[in-house]
Amino acid sequence: MNRFRFQRSQLCIPYGLFLVCFVLAPLVVIIYYAFTNGEGQFTLENLIGFFSSPNTIGTLFYSFGIAVSTTGVCLMLAYPIAYILARSKMKHKAVVLMVFVMPMWINFTLRITALKEILTVVEGNLAYHPFLNTLIGMTYDFLPFMILPIYTTLLKLDNSLLEAAADLGADTIQTFLKVTLPLSVPGIISGIVMVFLPSMTNYVVLDMLYNSTYIMGSLIGAYFSAYDWHNGSMIALILLVIILVFTLFTNRYADEDAGSSRGGVIG
Amino acid sequence: MARGQVQEMKKSRIILGLAAVSALVLCFFSEQTVYAGEEPIVLRVCSWEEYIDLGEWDAEEAIELDNGRVIFGEKPLYEDFEDWYRETYGREVRVEYSCFGTNEDLYNQLNMGDTYDLVCPSEYMIMKLIAEDRLIPYSDSFYDKQNNNNYYIQNVSPYIQKTLESNEINGERWSKYAAGYMWGITGVLYNPALVTEEQAATWKIFGNPKFNRQITLKDNVRDSYFAALGILKAKELTDEDFLNATDYQERLADVMNDVSPETIEQAQELLNELMDNVYSLETDSGKADMITGKIVANYQWSGDAVYAMDQADEDDFELRFAVPRESTNLWFDGWVMLKNGIREDAGRQHAAEAFVNFVSRTDNAVRNMYYIGYTSSIAGNAQDDTIYEYLKWCYGAEDENEELMDYPVGYFFSGDNSDKNYILQSTVSQMGRQLYSQYPPEEVIDRAAVMRYFDEDANKAINQMWINVRCFDIADVPMGVWVALLVVLLVFIGLRYWKSSAKTLHRL
Repeated sequence: MNRFRFQRSQLCIPYGLFLVCFVLAPLVVIIYYAFTNGEGQFTLENLIGFFSSPNTIGTLFYSFGIAVSTTGVCLMLAYPIAYILARSKMKHKAVVLMVFVMPMWINFTLRITALKEILTVVEGNLAYHPFLNTLIGMTYDFLPFMILPIYTTLLKLDNSLLEAAADLGADTIQTFLKVTLPLSVPGIISGIVMVFLPSMTNYVVLDMLYNSTYIMGSLIGAYFSAYDWHNGSMIALILLVIILVFTLFTNRYADEDAGSSRGGVIG
Repeated sequence: MARGQVQEMKKSRIILGLAAVSALVLCFFSEQTVYAGEEPIVLRVCSWEEYIDLGEWDAEEAIELDNGRVIFGEKPLYEDFEDWYRETYGREVRVEYSCFGTNEDLYNQLNMGDTYDLVCPSEYMIMKLIAEDRLIPYSDSFYDKQNNNNYYIQNVSPYIQKTLESNEINGERWSKYAAGYMWGITGVLYNPALVTEEQAATWKIFGNPKFNRQITLKDNVRDSYFAALGILKAKELTDEDFLNATDYQERLADVMNDVSPETIEQAQELLNELMDNVYSLETDSGKADMITGKIVANYQWSGDAVYAMDQADEDDFELRFAVPRESTNLWFDGWVMLKNGIREDAGRQHAAEAFVNFVSRTDNAVRNMYYIGYTSSIAGNAQDDTIYEYLKWCYGAEDENEELMDYPVGYFFSGDNSDKNYILQSTVSQMGRQLYSQYPPEEVIDRAAVMRYFDEDANKAINQMWINVRCFDIADVPMGVWVALLVVLLVFIGLRYWKSSAKTLHRL
């Protein structure tokens, strides 16, 4: 009897189908549109156009500016919080952590609307500080995504390593710089990835806080609503490449650091 | 469990299954026989969000007009249409009602294969659809005034019909393809405590440094371009010779539709300047920001201005509406039938035309106006004064102590502004307020221009212009940022170099 045989590899079929339908096929469509013009002919005009216009390249720069500063501020705020939480012998650690993560459970538009009102009270007129407001909004929105991964890596940190460092005569600052910090790099990296990438395209925050300057996400939308699929796709593709390069770079950096810290303290 | 029992169960399951399948098949066939030849017509209607009365009014909301009619919305209007169609024409119709967000979204939906029979886009999108030969003209019987069910042609405002008839694209008159639904103008909503009417009644207010960061523009290219044209051409537009020219209307329309490359370039420069003066660009938040006092003036569509003034009145806060003296943008949304939806189905086309007629019945037009807050293109006629009575119900003078005024609206209701039947007795306080926005006086209407659909090239140019305005110019990056970047880069390279040399040293 020729019975149907179940093989473990068949479990991949649903995922494979998903991959083809929702990842590969759209990618092909994007690439097709990015490199063609209205008549369907191959062209590099969209690519050259993007990098030769002071406006589009300026938008890329502006998006980068927002993403870099948001990530920087998030990191500076999140690391001490995560460190204190993870290292302290507090009884109700989980509750305190929850307080920091709780904003994530509240609807995002509601939070930003509330923030808008608070900022209006503080600043008087939001329109004078669009960049600062965006930075505050983004930080508010993405901070939990930075705290959580750092907290988890710090929590897993082996106490004996710290004791060993102290035994060998390192003071607290040295221990932190040479043991704790290098060992928490994987957490920092995943925090950066989770904050940097979305803050480059999350234009809802800008819209809601009255920053009328386009960032990459809104620029794609603007081209699409003008029926210009070609330029819109090209920008989406450029963004994809940037993210790819960024991810590769951070991965390499993470590996390198993990490698050098595996032997313990860097010499 | 014994084997026999299991087998028995399997058998009974199979029998059960078969029975279920045959029951389904039977059902299917019997349905078919009942409706053979009388299949309900499915009418796919797509319109703006919140753009039709959805009923469910509270009992005290019933509008009792002086002519004895009581207007009340119980069910959504399209469901009432299904009942009405059955009673009037003896055929079943089912309306599939859906919504779109912007004209561009609708256009993209149509291109991606969504099929609708009847849609309600704005004038320029109607022009685009006519130009692309995607619409079906209304049948001759739709315009037959003798037929009592032809509510549209009996009740449409002569002003709106004249506008539809006097405009054409590629030699096709708009009125052939489109039936007016709602209309309005654009202007400036302002806070009279801080802004004078003189300051508000010009597009130049958006560049007025006195209101730096306290005014908002609209977040779409057409509205902002119109305002830019109003500023750029202000001198010409307010010139006496221009205003008194016999062909003033045509010349005005040409000026406000100027898409020459030089004008677009000037508009870009101007809008860049305005961006540094305005609070923000908005689509919807402006109304709330006016009421909370974040801004003192904003670019507004007349219907939304009425809504904002109503809301502000509830807080005892006064807002007013001014129409720029240079020109104002007359816009309207209209029902059009799509070729690829209707195809050649006469029954469906009949239902689509009947739908337009039904929403144009005066009581239904009042229901929609009450619900949406915009002004209907429907005016009624000599026999049916429901719309005018509704106007009286809304804005007629009641308080004897207030100063009264005569407010002629004949241009809209009968085509003659001196028509004694349509001179509304209202209060002076309504000038620059809700009545003024909803039914602007004739002198305001005289300087209204319709913004046409621009051809592919011009459209591309103004879209690109808008993207350039909205983008961040790399030249605007402050010098300090470049210096800081350079420092960071140097430190980074320096660190790497130091690290690797330290490692080699260590190995030695």
